[in-house]
Amino acid sequence: MSRALASAALVAGLVVYPFADRALGLQTVHAVSDGMIYVLLALGLNIVVGYAGLLDLGYAAFFAIGAYSMGLLNSPVLGSPLYGHAWSFWLCIWLAAAVSALLGVVIGAPTLRVRGDYLAIITLGFGEIIPVAIRNLGDITIEIGGWRPIERLNLTGGENGVNPIGRPYLPGVPFETDPVPWYFLILVIGAASLWAMNRLRDSRLGRAWMAIREDETAADCTGVNPVSTKLLAFALGASFSGFAGSVYAAKLQAITPGAFEFQVSIMLLCMVVLGGAGSLKGVILGGMLITLFDRVVLAETTFFVRWVGRTTGVPALVAADLTLWRWLFFGLGLVLVMLLRPEGLAGRRVRPAPAADDDADDATLADGAPAPRVDALPGWLRERMRRGGHASEPTPILEVRGLTRRFGGVVALNGVDLVIPRGAIVGLIGPNGAGKTTFFNAVTGLLRPDGGRIAFEGASLVGLRPNAIVARGIARTFQSIRLFQNMTVLENVLVGGHCRLHATVPGAVLRPPAVVAEEARARTQARELLDFVGLGGKADDLARNLPYGDQRRLEIARALATEPGLLLLDEPSAGMNPREAETLTDLIELLRRELGLSVLLIEHHMEVVMGISDRITVLDYGTRIAEGTPAEIQRHPAVIEAYLGRGYEQDLAARDRAR
Amino acid sequence: MLELADVHTYYGNIRALRGISLSVAPGEIVTLIGANGAGKTTTLRTILGTVRPRRGAVTFNGRRLDALTTDRIVRLGIAQSPEGRRIFPRMTVLENLELGAFARPDREGIAPDLERVFALFPRLRERVTQKGGTLSGGEQQMLAIGRALMARPSLLLLDEPSMGLSPILVDTIFAIVQDINRQGTTILLVEQNARMALRVAHRGYVIQTGRIVLHDDAAALLRSDLVRKTYLGEK
Repeated sequence: MSRALASAALVAGLVVYPFADRALGLQTVHAVSDGMIYVLLALGLNIVVGYAGLLDLGYAAFFAIGAYSMGLLNSPVLGSPLYGHAWSFWLCIWLAAAVSALLGVVIGAPTLRVRGDYLAIITLGFGEIIPVAIRNLGDITIEIGGWRPIERLNLTGGENGVNPIGRPYLPGVPFETDPVPWYFLILVIGAASLWAMNRLRDSRLGRAWMAIREDETAADCTGVNPVSTKLLAFALGASFSGFAGSVYAAKLQAITPGAFEFQVSIMLLCMVVLGGAGSLKGVILGGMLITLFDRVVLAETTFFVRWVGRTTGVPALVAADLTLWRWLFFGLGLVLVMLLRPEGLAGRRVRPAPAADDDADDATLADGAPAPRVDALPGWLRERMRRGGHASEPTPILEVRGLTRRFGGVVALNGVDLVIPRGAIVGLIGPNGAGKTTFFNAVTGLLRPDGGRIAFEGASLVGLRPNAIVARGIARTFQSIRLFQNMTVLENVLVGGHCRLHATVPGAVLRPPAVVAEEARARTQARELLDFVGLGGKADDLARNLPYGDQRRLEIARALATEPGLLLLDEPSAGMNPREAETLTDLIELLRRELGLSVLLIEHHMEVVMGISDRITVLDYGTRIAEGTPAEIQRHPAVIEAYLGRGYEQDLAARDRAR
Repeated sequence: MLELADVHTYYGNIRALRGISLSVAPGEIVTLIGANGAGKTTTLRTILGTVRPRRGAVTFNGRRLDALTTDRIVRLGIAQSPEGRRIFPRMTVLENLELGAFARPDREGIAPDLERVFALFPRLRERVTQKGGTLSGGEQQMLAIGRALMARPSLLLLDEPSMGLSPILVDTIFAIVQDINRQGTTILLVEQNARMALRVAHRGYVIQTGRIVLHDDAAALLRSDLVRKTYLGEK
């Protein structure tokens, strides 16, 4: 109730504000409207930086592209046929957004392979190129040996910019003389954008962006296509700046390249970081604070300082202009926020959540993970797996022949064969550095093999991207846990379901019944999976705050959410005590028994491997040195020599005698 | 030598340590065993000063540690092989090891110690020019231990040294632990492999949800019902 009341008060405040401003003679509506344009830009940038984690230092380029799209389409400079029509603004704003989105993809594409610092440098380059290009495309002459196909063509207006630009038209609304209609136009566009972004964030696509931000490799191996996900972030981020740019151009009626310089990119980035990257509220707050500080506070303070100067007779104060110092104030503000609240003014706090501080939890904690229960196994998973095929089928689920992979001069895998029959649990063991994880990376598509075949259910996997391999039905966990740390436990599992969901951008924004039903089903299924692995009560915790053992089980739940036929587990019991390892063993066996799941397991805990594997393959220096049943492997001389050690042999003999 | 008296450590509002008291005498191997999340790693972090206790005192050879910065503590002669192999991924194996000796005053002792590490882990010698990040998980574990040894500490903190190592290397690593100890290094060992840890240790502490629930000679702990059921997985 109080929430609804607060929203109503906010809407009322936003509607009343311009009239109150006029009644009081404050004349701040212009500044606030411009501020909202920058907020819209910052919100678009937030998709790229806050959600997808791609540091973009040249975002003003898209602002420029949006503004110039509007400027050139809706102005007489180029003789645009659209200029002069009453409704052309309303058409051009969509065209500008489309052009920006398209260029977002064009500019985004070459940056896909780079991350972090390198990506930032490339975007910095684009941010510089666009204003320079705009300046120089005002006077183009192309000369090919005396023939001039293009002579003195003015494409962008050069340094002088584009002028005039057509205004929007609505019957009876004075866009020419009054700032208030502009305020409402921008408010409506901003509110619609915010609504769309909110829905995108809570969709399959928003989760994919965040997964990419958190760990691109893990996201790829969980079925998220990093290429299309990143391009979508660039395109959507750019399209919002297309809206912002075109409104900006039409409001000013004139644009020049100087309005889109590097400082604008930095200011937008400051808004996002100050408010809290990834938080819509924070970005709005950051954006309004910075623009209003710049346009209202600094200007008013300058008047005040000059007045003080005049009354006290200090000439330095009379001539002061605080707006020239804006970068000093921005810088100081940013430094203070980063020191005191690094997550931004309204960002999600990444510190551990407050926990109940009672002593009653001692017993449960000491017991570690609860034992897996058959009746908790989600029905939908059982259903899905049954459709996947039967153990009686003769084709092995995975068949690897002659797999070879070199790193420089080191042969990490040397003609390795490995076959997993459907529904089998196969162990992969060997000394450290033998190539076990490299084998996993080759099967899951993270590494391209130099030779050999990998067939899943009879079809070759070589050359497929990791996310495509997940879609085929192979899921994995990682040796050093790779969760999406700053996402909730539930979101982690939902990312696992990404490749089984279908919502697209229009679907995610408009939410037709099919998408609503799909999303609700995905959430129910994810919660059931969490209940099954014993994390039901922690769905809303951040993954990073989970204790180690819970993180391991969450990784397995995330892998199961991809509905795999084959599960690759890389040292799942590392760092667990024998009791915890036993619970894990029970879980793996239950999955195989109840779901017919096939499992390939790298493991150093011999009680685990020998206890559940049907067959074991042993690697040493990239070569298969043994293959057989656990009983055969335990007594294999080469395996004892290279891997198990004499101590293990003695223990085994002692155990045999004890029987 | 090392003494923790009623140490309470918090992460935010979470009480990770709820009054830990333990002591390590010169020349000892002392092991700390317990389930995941019990507070073993937090205890090591508190000793090294990467987290601060809210209450209680940590003393080392009579000096209070809980007000010193981590680099000062390391210079007093404590080194750690951290859990999760926090090696320097873009530096070579050799550079990683040399950095371990960064705070050492005796330059001439470094070369023999490097030899000693290579003798313990021949695999590291094979990979000496490789970047740390390109090593396999188990090799990184060897490197982390080797780097800690290079500091020639008087007290060595080992956090799950056997994690991710093959059975044959687990045997080796515990033999190494005893070996280092015989050469005069005192060791505080945190391990999931409680059986092996208790075999090499002189004394042990059992930690549950931030409290010491049991401490005794290692041999006695190996026989105790609680340890056998909870940490050795015996029925």
